[in-house]
Amino acid sequence: MDLQHTSQEEFEYIEKYLNGILEASDLKTFEQRLQNNAEFKLKVEEYKTLFTGIETQALKEQLNVFHKDIPNNTSHLTTENTKVHTLNWKRLLVAAVLIIAAGSFWFLNGNSNERLYAKYFTPDPGLPTTMSNTDDYEFYEAMVFYKQGNYKDAISKWEILQKAKPDNDTLNYFIGVAYLADKNEDSAISLLEKVSKNAEFVFVNDAYFYLGLAYLKTEKIEKAKASLQNSTSENSNALLSELND
Amino acid sequence: MQEKKPTLSLDNSLIEAVKNNNTQVLKNLYVHNYPKIEILVLKNSGTKDAAKDIYQEAFLAVWQNIKQNKFVPQTESSINGYIYTIAKHKWLDVLRSQGYKKTIVASQLEHFEIKAEENNDIDDDILKDKRLENVMLAFKNLGDACKSLLRKFYFEKKSMNVIAKELALDAASTRNKKYRCMQKLKEIALKN
Repeated sequence: MDLQHTSQEEFEYIEKYLNGILEASDLKTFEQRLQNNAEFKLKVEEYKTLFTGIETQALKEQLNVFHKDIPNNTSHLTTENTKVHTLNWKRLLVAAVLIIAAGSFWFLNGNSNERLYAKYFTPDPGLPTTMSNTDDYEFYEAMVFYKQGNYKDAISKWEILQKAKPDNDTLNYFIGVAYLADKNEDSAISLLEKVSKNAEFVFVNDAYFYLGLAYLKTEKIEKAKASLQNSTSENSNALLSELND
Repeated sequence: MQEKKPTLSLDNSLIEAVKNNNTQVLKNLYVHNYPKIEILVLKNSGTKDAAKDIYQEAFLAVWQNIKQNKFVPQTESSINGYIYTIAKHKWLDVLRSQGYKKTIVASQLEHFEIKAEENNDIDDDILKDKRLENVMLAFKNLGDACKSLLRKFYFEKKSMNVIAKELALDAASTRNKKYRCMQKLKEIALKN
């Protein structure tokens, strides 16, 4: 790599080119120079690597920030069977105390299907709502409610749209998952059944997954299995194999 | 078809949001896709830390490929599938590597077979570029002032005016500062 000096002016010129905002008249000169001057070409590539490197490292550091917000319970149940041998007595004691404390609640209220449901159910993350210039403003406005966990308001907004488009799968899907998140399984089931019939539907795997969960929640285990079988998602497979155990 | 419409407008905005490093969108993608990878790695002889590392590598590769239009997702779920596939490949590479070979029985890998079609279109070599690694390392260890300034420009993609205001400087001084920070970074990266 070269150590030759780049002036501020030249740097800004190269940056404009790499960002695709060089004026058309300059662009031609720039490209000619790229072609005829190997050293200049090397310099441009070097800056390109610098820009990419900054962005990539910045994102890498950002990912660690994101990671702190990942709920810690996902792996709890999957690790427990492999790590049980390494538990020490102190930990077992703590666990025993916790179990005794939570015991009555656990045995009176818990059953395995409900626990499975709780383990696998997280609301669909919804669609990104970053752009404001969308045609589907109403749809995304309701999506914001949905993402805030305000399912009732999301549902009532979407249901207004649904009257005009009763067969819109995306709409029906999100109303369905919102009902499920709002603990209204029966309404969820009828909508999710409807959308999962369309094999072309982009979220068909998710639809079958949530339909399976809705059946699980309502103790219709065979229907839950049948629905999960239709989904290729990893979650569905994992839940299905636990149901079959 | 009627139902395609909302997803179409979603795709363009989603791709643009990823390209512009929209924090909320990247975070949603990151948080949403992690659990599946963790389960995959834990079920296949890995630890939580290994899952995190492999997942972050895969995530960066997917992000790069979207930025460079090497991968043009049609829907959000195709991004999810792509992240999963790349992470799976990366984990498989780890398992095939020397350190793991001795400890793993072949039968443990049976549900891990990769379909032929999944193998195509996977190109994440960009991150293995030595020069890029040098720049990343140099940027990681760059002084706080320069690091924060360059981050605002190149990662957060804030405009010159906004950044100048944040630093309480005029535009010309900000531009000069950015230039000098870049030269500094370049110097350190070249030394590596």
